[in-house]
Amino acid sequence: MKLNGKLALVTGGSQGIGRGIVEAFIQQGAQVITCGRYTEPKDLPAACNYIQLDVSDPAAVNRFAADIHNLDILVNNAGVQVEKNTVESTDEDWDQVMGANARGVFNMCRAFIPNMTEGGSIINIGSISGNIADPSMALYNASKAFVHGLTRSIAVDHGPAIRCNAICPGWIETGMLEAGFATADNPQTAMHDALQRHPVRRFGKPEDIASMAVWLASSDASFATGQLFTIDGGMTAASPLNPGLF
Amino acid sequence: MMLEGKIALVTGGRGGIGRAVVKRLMREGATVYAADLTENGSLQTHDDDGSQFIKLDVTSEDDAITAFKTVEQQHSCLHILVNAAGIEIEKTIEQTTLEEWNQSFAVNVTGTFLTSKHSLPLLRAAATQGATSSIINFGSYDGFIADPGLAAYCATKGAVHALTRAMACDHGPEGIRVNAICPGYVDTPMLQSFFKGDGSGGQGGNIESLQQAVRDVHPMRTYGTPDDIANLVNWLASDEARYASGQLWVLDGGLSAQVQQMRL
Ligand SMILES: NC(=O)c1ccc[n+]([C@@H]2O[C@H](COP(=O)([O-])OP(=O)(O)OC[C@H]3O[C@@H](n4cnc5c(N)ncnc54)[C@H](O)[C@@H]3O)[C@@H](O)[C@H]2O)c1
Repeated sequence: MKLNGKLALVTGGSQGIGRGIVEAFIQQGAQVITCGRYTEPKDLPAACNYIQLDVSDPAAVNRFAADIHNLDILVNNAGVQVEKNTVESTDEDWDQVMGANARGVFNMCRAFIPNMTEGGSIINIGSISGNIADPSMALYNASKAFVHGLTRSIAVDHGPAIRCNAICPGWIETGMLEAGFATADNPQTAMHDALQRHPVRRFGKPEDIASMAVWLASSDASFATGQLFTIDGGMTAASPLNPGLF
Repeated sequence: MMLEGKIALVTGGRGGIGRAVVKRLMREGATVYAADLTENGSLQTHDDDGSQFIKLDVTSEDDAITAFKTVEQQHSCLHILVNAAGIEIEKTIEQTTLEEWNQSFAVNVTGTFLTSKHSLPLLRAAATQGATSSIINFGSYDGFIADPGLAAYCATKGAVHALTRAMACDHGPEGIRVNAICPGYVDTPMLQSFFKGDGSGGQGGNIESLQQAVRDVHPMRTYGTPDDIANLVNWLASDEARYASGQLWVLDGGLSAQVQQMRL
């Protein structure tokens, strides 16, 4: 077990990628706390403690941090997305997306870094969309670029005590992905097309991201800091043109 | 005119991009040598454009030495070297023979090395006259992300990118700027061949619809023309770019700024 006796906090662990990380951390022997905006989901593993917390609220985050000492691992996974371009985006959209994805990660890091143990590891969930743009995701793309920049800053400012890295997932199978295909003109073709753009010919699973998180949290990664690790089945290594599909 | 009085040599100067570069540099007042394997390069014919043709195989060190001797005798210096000669083998590594692999590196990488190396004394001579001189290499967007079935090509372009930075570090102190242009899809014989090739999926079939699909995937909804590339060569070659060196200039209509365009 790679994380025996470690205390880990994973934001947004109720479902999707965060849930995958919670389960993997428990399996590796860590004591895990997770948080979300809503009440505790019924199917959460019993070994995991749940706290209701909105990461975009600095006061709430600070209160929560005051109660937690000797944190070894912090995973900033909570995030939201709004599918709009710049002109369509409202002030509410800004508050929602930047609040959770940018300010939320900042709030958590600011509050917890002073309480973390020597050798602690922060893992932020960025995105391939923080490096290259998904259409009509303006605030989301920009919020993830913020996460990438903050990741490097924390690594530089708070090493050697703390390592900080980001994982940039590609297409991961969560409810969101299936909903996307369901609304396609021809779901079958859309699915085939999307798979062909992945050299591994499958989409990602939360476990794929979780196993990278385990590695980054463990002492195996003690020389890894300040970096962005893309896990996308090879999608961004291929030209978006991919003429074999036309 | 931005390049009055400058002397330039363009390898692959009778190719799709090379020709446009030669024309543009001449229009800006430069004296231009078009160096290529043949007078027609990659096209069927060539109309006189006022450039001086030099027969040059960039893989031959003797050819490179001879070419720059000619330039030296006529002008005693060189301000601009454009390394636009290139070949593209449209195969996976499994299909690629060792000869094809070696040939790809010989033209795209060794060629860039040889012409740059043997032009250095002339570039230095131009730089001491108060201005910088400029080497412009051709990388590719394929040096960053891969098109299917272009393995050796992608690898050579990655090498050109690294060589560009190395040359910029080594020869910057001598007043020589070194940059690479990394085009996306530019309409030349090389691109038309790619459209027809195995890797393209076009398989000689419906080129029209393939071309349209390629336009559509660009944020700018078009692929590039040789003139688009020549515009950037002109700027990088000019004194306006005196602070530009060691960079890889991606020119691709926004293609590589986006995530894969799934057809949802
Ligand atoms: N066309 C594109 O979409 C594109 C995209 C990215 C990069 N590029 C790069 O731009 C450069 C120019 O390409 P192009 O599209 O004009 O191709 P092209 O095939 O039209 O021209 C290439 C020219 O290089 C010459 N050449 C080949 N081998 C040579 C050798 N051994 N010695 C001297 N000359 C030689 C050919 O005769 C030809 O005239 C190449 O380096 C290419 O890799 C092109």
